[in-house]
Amino acid sequence: MPSEEADRIAVLQGTLDLIVLRTLQTMGPQHAYAIATRLQQVSEDLLHLNQGTLYPALVRLEQQGRIKGAWGKTDSNREAKFYSITKTGEKALAQETLRWRRMAGLVDKLLSEGA
Amino acid sequence: MRLVNLFRSRRAEREMTREIDSHLALLQQEFERQGFSPDAAAQAARREYGSVEQAKELHREARSVMWIDHLVKDLRYGVRNLLRTPGFTFIAVIALALGIGANGAIFSVVNAVLLRPLAYKDADRLVTVLHRGAGPVATANYIDWRNQSHSFEAMGAADYWTANLTSSSGNPAEHLYALKVTQNLLPLLGVQPLFGRLFVPGEDQQGADHEVILSYRLWQRRFNRDSNILGTPITLNGEAYTVVGVMPPSFQFAPFWATHAELWVPDAFGLSIHNRDDNHLRVFARLKSGITLTQARADVAALTARLDKEYPATNRGVVVTPLKENVVGKIETPLLLLLGAVGFVLLIACANVAHMLLARTSDRQKEIAVRTALGAGRTRVVTQFLTENLVLAMTGAFLGLLIAFGGTKALIVLSPAYIPRVETIAIDFRVLLFLLFIAVLTALSFGLIPALHAAAGNLSDALKEGGRGDSEGLHRTRLRSFLVASEFALAFVLLIGTGLMIRSFFALESIDPGFNAHNVISMIVSVAGTKEADLSHRTIFYGQLLQKIRSLPGVDSAGAINHLPLAGDLWGQSFRIEGRPAPRPGESPAAIYRIVMPGYFETMRLPLRRGRAITDRDDAREPGVVIVNERAAREYWPREDPIGKRITLDNDKNGQPVWLTVVGVAANAKQSDWAAVPDPEIYLAALQNAAFLGDVGSHIAYITLVVRGDENPAGLASAVKQVVWSFDRNLAISDVVTMDRVIADANSQTRFEMLLLGAFGTVALVLAAIGIYGVMNYSVSRRTREIGIRISLGASRFDVLRIVTQHAMLQAVVGAAIGLTGAVMLSKLMTRMLFGVQPTDPYTFAGVAVVLGFAAIVATYIPARRATRIEPMTALRNE
Repeated sequence: MPSEEADRIAVLQGTLDLIVLRTLQTMGPQHAYAIATRLQQVSEDLLHLNQGTLYPALVRLEQQGRIKGAWGKTDSNREAKFYSITKTGEKALAQETLRWRRMAGLVDKLLSEGA
Repeated sequence: MRLVNLFRSRRAEREMTREIDSHLALLQQEFERQGFSPDAAAQAARREYGSVEQAKELHREARSVMWIDHLVKDLRYGVRNLLRTPGFTFIAVIALALGIGANGAIFSVVNAVLLRPLAYKDADRLVTVLHRGAGPVATANYIDWRNQSHSFEAMGAADYWTANLTSSSGNPAEHLYALKVTQNLLPLLGVQPLFGRLFVPGEDQQGADHEVILSYRLWQRRFNRDSNILGTPITLNGEAYTVVGVMPPSFQFAPFWATHAELWVPDAFGLSIHNRDDNHLRVFARLKSGITLTQARADVAALTARLDKEYPATNRGVVVTPLKENVVGKIETPLLLLLGAVGFVLLIACANVAHMLLARTSDRQKEIAVRTALGAGRTRVVTQFLTENLVLAMTGAFLGLLIAFGGTKALIVLSPAYIPRVETIAIDFRVLLFLLFIAVLTALSFGLIPALHAAAGNLSDALKEGGRGDSEGLHRTRLRSFLVASEFALAFVLLIGTGLMIRSFFALESIDPGFNAHNVISMIVSVAGTKEADLSHRTIFYGQLLQKIRSLPGVDSAGAINHLPLAGDLWGQSFRIEGRPAPRPGESPAAIYRIVMPGYFETMRLPLRRGRAITDRDDAREPGVVIVNERAAREYWPREDPIGKRITLDNDKNGQPVWLTVVGVAANAKQSDWAAVPDPEIYLAALQNAAFLGDVGSHIAYITLVVRGDENPAGLASAVKQVVWSFDRNLAISDVVTMDRVIADANSQTRFEMLLLGAFGTVALVLAAIGIYGVMNYSVSRRTREIGIRISLGASRFDVLRIVTQHAMLQAVVGAAIGLTGAVMLSKLMTRMLFGVQPTDPYTFAGVAVVLGFAAIVATYIPARRATRIEPMTALRNE
C-alpha cells in the first residue's frame, strides 16, 4: 500500500485550492463529487485523493469568500451542494496562478541549471 | 466572520452531514449505473469516499482551525510585542484600567439606582398621587380620590409613624421608624411576606388595627430570627401588637420617604377621615391595565378640580407621578452627568493609548512592510494589530474590574444618604457585561485607527520612511495632533465640571446655618409607651431630664426641640394674626412649627435679633408666648415691630382663640434644605402645653435633646444616655448625632459630586499631560537628526525650543479652545447641581485654562530640554 501512495502526487498545501478554483472557473458551479471526479479525470488518476479530503479546501475557500456554496438539484434530481467561484475567487485565482507560474518557473530554472 | 463561525457550528455540522450524505448518494448512483447492485454500490461508494469520520474531522478542523490558529498566533504575538515595550504597556494598561474601572464603578451605581426596576411587581405601573408631586395628602381627600377615580386598579396610603419598642425581657427600648398603611397597600405593591401574611380587610378598622408586619432586618436584629414569632404580641408605644408577618430581606417601603421604616401597622384613620387640611398621607396607586399615565393624570385632574370647588383650596396641584420618578428623580441628572464624566475620562484614556499606538505603529512600519511583503493580507495585519490591542484592552479591563470593585465599595461608603437604593449597589451580571462591552469598544476605538493605518501604509513608502528615520508622514502627524487636541478638549470640559463643583461646595460651606453647630450633640428620646408619656407628666420629665444633663461635667448647656433643623421632620402650621381680617381659604399665614424646651436657643447659639428667648418661666400658668424667625417677621409684620403682637393657632374648648404673644425674633435658621432660604418659622414653648409636642391622640411622643459641651461632644453621648436611662430603662434613644455631622450630611450630595468630579478631573489632567508628554517625547526622538542639523547650521537653543514646543503648544491651545466651547454648552446641564456659581463662571474657566496650560508646559518641558541638549555630532551619527 505505501508504494501505491508514493506513486500518487501528494497534493501540496495550497495547490489543491488553486486546482479547485480553476475547476470551478472552467466548469461553472459544481458539487463536491463532480469536482473530485473532474480532478481524477484531468490528472489521469495520478492525483488520487479520498473524496472526503476535498472538504477542507472547500471550507477554507468558502471562508475566504473565494467560492460560494448553495444547495441545488443534480441532473438525476438528487440534492447536492453546488459551489461556484466568486469575484474575489477569480481575482485570487489570477494572482495565485501568477505566483504558481513564477514559483514553478523558478524551480524549473533551478533544476535545469543544476543539471 | 470568524466569530460568527463559532456560533454557527451546529448549523455547520448539519450542513456537513447533509453534504456528505449527498456526496455518497451521488457516488452510489454512479456505481449503480455501472451495474452494481444497490448494496454493493453503497459499499463501493463508501470505499471510494474514504472514511466518513475522517472527512468530518477534516471538515471540522478546516472550519475551526483557521481562526483559532490565527487567534492563538495573534495573541502570542501580541503578548510578546507588548512585553517587549513594558513602559508603553504599563502606561497604556493603567490608563485603560482607570478609565474602564471608573466607568464600571459609576455604572454599577447607575445600574442599581436608575436602571433596575423597583423591587415591586410591575413597578412601572405604580404611581404616587401627591400635592405638587411630593407633598402629603389629607385623609378625606385620599378617600374621595380612592372612591371616585377610574384609572387605578387600587389606591392605598401610608402615614409616617414612630414606635417605641419595649420589652419586659430587659432589652433596651428602641425608637423605630414605621409606617401606618391602609390594608390594601402592600397587596397593591404585589409583594409577598417571607412568612406569615399581609394585613387582611377589616384590620385597618379602629379596634382591630393592632397587628404588625416586621422587616427582615428588625426580625433578625431584635428577634434573633425567631421562627415562632407569628402570633406573638410585641409592645409598641406601650400597646400590644400581634406579629402577623415578616417581609423578605429585599423588601423596602416606602422607597422615597420614610425609607428606614422597619415595621408596618394598619392605619385606622379614626377622626381624620373628615379632615381635608391636615396633609400627612402619602398616596400610592397601581394603574389599571391599558390606562396610560396621561389618562390617569387627566382623570385625577378632573376629579380634584371638582373636589376643589366643593371644598375650596383643599385639592390644588395634585399630581400623578410614576413611583420610580419620585425615587430617583433628584439623583438622575447628577448620576447621568457623572456617567458622562467618566465616559470622558475613558475617551481621554483611549485617545492617549491611540496616539501611543500610532507612534508604535510608525516604529513598526518596517516590520509591517516585511510581513506584507511575505504575503500577509491587509485583513490579517489589521486583525493582528486589533488582537494585540484587545490584549491591551482586556488586561486594562481586568485591572479595571478590580478598580471597579474597589471603587463601588468606596462609592457606597462615600455616598450621601440621599442616594436611594444604595444598598442594592453591586457588581452584577449587567455591570460585568457593560465592562466587557466598553473594553471591546475601547479596544476598537483606540485600536482600529492605528491598525488601519498600519495596514494602509504603502510598502515602499514605509520602507523609505523607516529608512530615513525622519519626521513622520503628514497624515499620521495630523491624526496624532487631533488626538492630543481632543484630550485637551475633553480634559478642559471635565475640569470645568470639577471647578464648578468645587466653587459650589465652598459656596455651600460658607453658608451660615443661623446657629453654631460646633460642640453640639443631639439625640432623640422617645417616651412613647412609658410612664413619662403621660401628658400631665411629660414636660415635667423633660424639664427634670434637662436639669440633670446640665449638671453633667463637660456640659455647657442643654435644650430640646421637637424636630432638629436639617435632620428632623418639618411640620407646617397655619395661624391667624390678631386684628387682621380672616384670610381666604388656603391663604392663611403659615410657618414651620417648632416646639422648644428652655435652653434651646442658648445651646444652639441661635441668636435672638430682638426680644427674649423662651425660659423656664414660660409654663402653663403663664400667658402663651411665641418666637418668630426674621423671615416670618418680615413676611407677616413687614412695617411693624412683631414684638407684642398676638397670633393664634387654634381655639380652646370654649371656641375662644388661644392667643400667643410674640416675645422674640430669632435669626433665620436652616430648616431642611441647606441651600434654600429659610421659610417663616415659629417657636412655641413646650412647657406651656404638652399637646404642642404632638397630637394628644397620637402615640408619637418624642423629643430631640441638644447638648453643648466644652469639646468633643460625641464623648458626652454615653453620659447623656445614662442620665436618660436613670429615669426609665424603657425610654428609647435614637439618632445620636453631632450637629457638625448633621450639617455635613446636608451638604453631602454636593461634596459627593465634587469628590467624584474632582477625581475624574485629576485623572483627566494627568492623562492629558501624559499624552502631550508622550507626543513631545516621541517627536523629539524622531527629529533628533533634524535638530542636530539645525543646531550645526547655527540654530540657537531658543530656536530649537521654539521649534519643538510650538506644535505641542498649538495642539494644547486648539484643544483647550474646543474644550472651552464644549464646556460652555455642557456646563448648563449642571445648573441644578450648582450653588452660588454660574455655569459659565469666568473664574473657573480662567482657572482651568491656567491649570491645563501649566500641565502642558510641564509635560513639554522635559522632552524640549532634551532637544536643546542634542549634540549635533551624536545626532548625525544616531541612526
